[in-house]
Amino acid sequence: MNEPVRIEELKPLAEPYLLKEEQLAHYEKAYRSDYQAWAQVLGENVERIRRGSYSLHWLNTDGGHWGKRAKPSSRGLTYTDINRVRGYGDIPAQADWMNFAPRGSIREPYRDRMPIVDDYIVTARDELWADNVITLYEEAKARQWNATKDIPWDELEALPEDLEKATCQLCTFLTEVEFVAGDFPAKWLYRTPQDFLEVKSFLATQLMDEARHQEVFRKRAIAGGGLLHASPGFEWALKAILDAPSHTMGTFLLNLLGEGLVLSVFRAGEMIAKTQVDKEIFRRCLQDEARHVSYGVLELKNYLATHPDRERGVEEMHRFADVGEQVILTAFTESALVEPVAVLLGGGLKQIDKGMEGLGHMWRVFIEEYLQRCKAAGFDRTERCTIPLDLPWGVAA
Amino acid sequence: MSAAADTLQTAAVAFPSRAWFQQLADLMNANRTRQEQLGYVDCIAQFTVLDGGADGGPVAYRVTFEEFSAIAVAEFATRELGDADFALEGSAATWREMIENIAANNGRPDLEHSLNRLSHMGTPFKLVAEDPVRADAYFRFNQSLQEFVDASAQFTTLFDH
Repeated sequence: MNEPVRIEELKPLAEPYLLKEEQLAHYEKAYRSDYQAWAQVLGENVERIRRGSYSLHWLNTDGGHWGKRAKPSSRGLTYTDINRVRGYGDIPAQADWMNFAPRGSIREPYRDRMPIVDDYIVTARDELWADNVITLYEEAKARQWNATKDIPWDELEALPEDLEKATCQLCTFLTEVEFVAGDFPAKWLYRTPQDFLEVKSFLATQLMDEARHQEVFRKRAIAGGGLLHASPGFEWALKAILDAPSHTMGTFLLNLLGEGLVLSVFRAGEMIAKTQVDKEIFRRCLQDEARHVSYGVLELKNYLATHPDRERGVEEMHRFADVGEQVILTAFTESALVEPVAVLLGGGLKQIDKGMEGLGHMWRVFIEEYLQRCKAAGFDRTERCTIPLDLPWGVAA
Repeated sequence: MSAAADTLQTAAVAFPSRAWFQQLADLMNANRTRQEQLGYVDCIAQFTVLDGGADGGPVAYRVTFEEFSAIAVAEFATRELGDADFALEGSAATWREMIENIAANNGRPDLEHSLNRLSHMGTPFKLVAEDPVRADAYFRFNQSLQEFVDASAQFTTLFDH
């Protein structure tokens, strides 16, 4: 048995754990010296409490919407139901409350004493809004599932090695890519003011969905043999999504193009699944992914339809898509994705050529669907699409 | 299966027919607990048998799903979408093969006979919709739609063809 380690013998950590000294010092200075308003509020509060005095100002309903009660609809009390109550459903075209004061609350008297959250930079409603966002939020909550218990893991069967490796490689790809669809909405979630609470709520469900997808594919791979290869092509596509210069552009790249492609991969995954476990996994995931795609299409549609200079807005989106399509294509031409799908489609490594034929058909279907989604959003990429309409397999041979 | 669903076991039902889809709707509505686990289904789905009509032409069954229920089933002698969000079209032989496979596997089709498996390549089933957002409803509610047709294993189907 090893000798017990004594505390006094432990070496100090090389650097402060998690924190750099200057970060703490900056925070201390900001809240002790720079910001004055909170200290004034605290002083008044303490003085009032010490006096034993009540304020009761919160009983005054002037400037509010007190007394108008929301009524539930058949499925409960939804955002749509409460937004029908006058004073609560007016979503501003331009947000100017850069803090957490709830939309519809009595907040105006306190505006000057409230802090500004500098990170709230998406202040235009039409950079975020989609007409289906409340519906999708309700649907997302109702259709959550649990990757631990809703998948019949005990039925997982061992596959021949080539099919198992192909399945695990596909799951490795999906584990790698899924959480960008969590990180991207997370990045914009905290940049979005609270007045756009419906969109923030939907983005939160997308985060949960993607956590679950990453979880279920990681579990499937490790239960079936293990994770296999990560790929540079996947990584560049993911970085291009995170680096998108605006919420709408990133949502186009992630939700409409990227998740549209992943939705196709899920549908293909269900089709070529070699076990009922895999079928169930892909079927559950494709439902979630289709919600994200639907948001992406209608968000872009709203953005372009409300753009003050539509022609310019469309051209900017085209410029972005010209680059974005190519970077996404980098991921979807990686051998670590194309080849395992072909092996599963063909039925084994020896039938990979047959599988590539099937993949060619699926490629065409995907591109058609992508172009249809763009068109439905009022963004016609038919003439400018930089992704080949046909999988260029073997054209140079 | 719930006691309520047990009581819905009836004599054989002909396919294709409005009564057959109504039977699926009744089974779904009798098992609300399962629907609440799966979540809302809000769409109008059309199931089209391309050669299932009396004259060998198409016959379509439009099922309106709302919340946790199938609230209406209607029959049309056309493949037109009408107010349906999407249609799943296939020949009578394809429908029969799928239904028999579901029955033979006690309500869970084998790997080759799930709705998505049969429709993903556009054949033998084809997904039809007027716009991609409405088509996506087929994917958003796929598990529920799968279990909707899987319930056909709970009664005997008669085939005319």
